[in-house]
Amino acid sequence: MAQTRSSARSGSSGAGEARIGAGARVRGRIAGDGALTVEGHVEGDVALRGELTVAEGGEIHADTIEAEALVVSGVVEGELRVSGVVRAMAGSRVRGNVTGGASLALDDGAQFAGRIDAEFDLPAELLESSGGSPGRRR
Amino acid sequence: MASTVIGAGITIDGEITSDEDVVVQGTVRGKLTARDGVTVEPGAVVEADVSGGPLTVAGSITGNITSTDRVDLQPGAKVIGNVKAARITISDGAQFKGNVDMDV
Repeated sequence: MAQTRSSARSGSSGAGEARIGAGARVRGRIAGDGALTVEGHVEGDVALRGELTVAEGGEIHADTIEAEALVVSGVVEGELRVSGVVRAMAGSRVRGNVTGGASLALDDGAQFAGRIDAEFDLPAELLESSGGSPGRRR
Repeated sequence: MASTVIGAGITIDGEITSDEDVVVQGTVRGKLTARDGVTVEPGAVVEADVSGGPLTVAGSITGNITSTDRVDLQPGAKVIGNVKAARITISDGAQFKGNVDMDV
């Protein structure tokens, strides 16, 4: 009994350590708390309160992918609703719109196709030039 | 360290197939197929048919279990479903409801 309890504790301390291995394929929805690393294939939506990492060789094909942060070294397809940083590493392929107030970092050698909805304040001189007509500027 | 770990906070609704071993600490609903070992840890909830190599269960499984090797139901395990395997152990403290098919 004591053994069971101690292994239960080690299991819960491992919470947030989740991984879809290179030889694994998931077809369906993944949801939950904690960090997740995908080295295999995922076909389906992901809704994660935590950091999502798609390792080299890993692939996610989804309609929507929600996470607090996303690091891609593999292939990701789908709408990215990420509250934190989306980082596309060299050699990665990302296809999909980025929403949810995420900031995006594209490394040299990353492929990206999609729209980026980023909210930030434009510098004053850009605000003037875009707000005013070219005539007024002259 | 297992190749695939479904962490304690994670829920998967759907189908998981793996060429390597799988450890479940969280929740899996649907179907779980592995060519290697499957471990269902204490606190894990599996509502799925499970098939794989050596299967160690300390959590809860609702569904049929098929193993090419052996199935070990450890203390604290709760299994509702049929078990088909060449070797089966049911420890004292494991709960089990279903049929056993040892292919004799």
